[in-house]
Amino acid sequence: MTFSTVIVRGLMRRPVRTGLTLVGISIGIAAVVALVGISRGFQKSWEKGLKARGTDLVVSNMGSALTPKPFAESVRDQVAKLPHVAATCTLLVELTSIESSQMMILSSREWGGFAWENLKLVSGRMPRDAKEPAVVLGQTAADVLKKKVGDPIQIETSELTVVGIVNGGALVEDGSAIMSLPVLQELAGEQGKVNAIDVRCTPGTSEEQMHKLCEQMNALVPEARAMIASENLSNSQGYRIVKAMSWGTSLLAVLVGVLGVMNTMLMTVFERTHEICVLLALGWKRGRIVRMVLCESALLGFLGGVAGVAIGIAGVKVLQNTPAIRGLLEPDLSLGLFLVSVVIAVVVGVVSGLYPAWRSSRLTPSAALQG
Amino acid sequence: MKPAPLNAAPVFEAVGLKKEFDDGQVRALRGVDFRIADGEFIAVIGPSGCGKSTLLQMLGALDHPSAGTLRYRGKSMAELPDPAAYRAREIGFIFQAFHLLPTFTAIENVQMPMFETERPVHGRKDRALELLKAVGLEHRVNHFPAKLSGGERQRVAIARSLANAPSVLLADEPTGNLDSENARLILDLIVRVQREQNMTLVLVTHDMAIAARASRALQMKDGQIVSASEPAPPISGVT
Repeated sequence: MTFSTVIVRGLMRRPVRTGLTLVGISIGIAAVVALVGISRGFQKSWEKGLKARGTDLVVSNMGSALTPKPFAESVRDQVAKLPHVAATCTLLVELTSIESSQMMILSSREWGGFAWENLKLVSGRMPRDAKEPAVVLGQTAADVLKKKVGDPIQIETSELTVVGIVNGGALVEDGSAIMSLPVLQELAGEQGKVNAIDVRCTPGTSEEQMHKLCEQMNALVPEARAMIASENLSNSQGYRIVKAMSWGTSLLAVLVGVLGVMNTMLMTVFERTHEICVLLALGWKRGRIVRMVLCESALLGFLGGVAGVAIGIAGVKVLQNTPAIRGLLEPDLSLGLFLVSVVIAVVVGVVSGLYPAWRSSRLTPSAALQG
Repeated sequence: MKPAPLNAAPVFEAVGLKKEFDDGQVRALRGVDFRIADGEFIAVIGPSGCGKSTLLQMLGALDHPSAGTLRYRGKSMAELPDPAAYRAREIGFIFQAFHLLPTFTAIENVQMPMFETERPVHGRKDRALELLKAVGLEHRVNHFPAKLSGGERQRVAIARSLANAPSVLLADEPTGNLDSENARLILDLIVRVQREQNMTLVLVTHDMAIAARASRALQMKDGQIVSASEPAPPISGVT
């Protein structure tokens, strides 16, 4: 018999209680995996979308909302004059409900702008001109909305026609309904307004030059803020709030797990007071008793962590297939996130076991003769 | 009653040993002097609350005396560098209520004291098996305590007490929870082990018939030794 047998047997002593504690901690870890995975995935997906469009810089006003605030389309003319700017493309992007989908990205692009270049037609055609009341749907969006080429589509108060299905090279693009800028400006009553300018720099522009270019743009255009594409979303206040909320919710769930494990380990120590005294009487050192309690709670954390990762993955898969948000989630369920989650769970286990372990170390072996 | 081996070297020497609880309101030991020689079988007898178990706790380093001196093989027990190591290597405990761990099998229970030794995992198992065979339980090694009779549980506890080949056995009413037939068998086993391995045995009991089998009996009353059937020689040089 090894020391690990003693640890496992300690947890198996009350299987129902151990199981319920595992459920508690695993829900906390599942929340970490799901929420952090989704928020990270959204960031990655957003960046991938910008990369697919070949965007180096984004000029937008990412305030507290998830979509940027509109500003005058004419800003583009000022931006385009700056050195190292090779091309610009104005966009008006909204998050809105479209028919059966409660949330979908509505992405309108300057007619002829480079943001159309990455869209590969899967079926149908592109809009004929800037004014055609037509929509091309990303493959995921078409799947979610159950639309095919030629179908009508209700957006805001207008009925448009789906003229093509496209592959955008990123989930953000594939999950979007895409149209010409003037069409959405008309629909949304935002004539002459855009909320993003995608900027392509001249080949060979260094990151340092891009940062300087951003500073120049910010000085020139006070109503919007220029950022390197990869930093655009992470600097959004709205995204930061979402990210903070996902971590906050996760930590709250983990805290509940901590209290659960601590309660279980305290109960274990109280219940086993006499047994621990007997072990001390048999010559076990206090350090071994402390190690036993800490190892039990760490194992509880580890098992809860592994179960939590599995539950988190399953939960995200279920969410991905939920009609309300289908096509919008591309969670970043990486091995790194799983490892971090399991490490958090083990740390939770050890921290939760500290007080019970300390209590166990205060017991005296003389109680063994009193039972 | 057999004669005490008075010429043997003392294992324990106690001078003016006192133990008080609750700020002196309870005086469990009120100045106890005794000397126990190597290989002796000492019975400690007396009514409930007379201090027998407290005395056993002092001998097993489970608790500290409030005053007085207790020596083990000439060294003050107050200065034991590691009381846990002393209990693990020098002392074997046998309790009235057996105190086997319920979630471990007989052979696992016997291995418990061996965790604090250098013995390898396989060595521990072999040793536990050997001891369970010696107490006649080779057919019950993988049974949990709940599946064993009272006599069998005490046999497992005896095997456990011998795990690290201690030189001293401390038994607290070891037959108190057994019927008369099992009590006789268990006592025979303890005495046989003590003789075969020339161990020092200190056995606390109410039963005068059991005490009669000891080489000496210490009669206690109100925290004091009121008589010793074979007095130990005078203690000298003990501080």
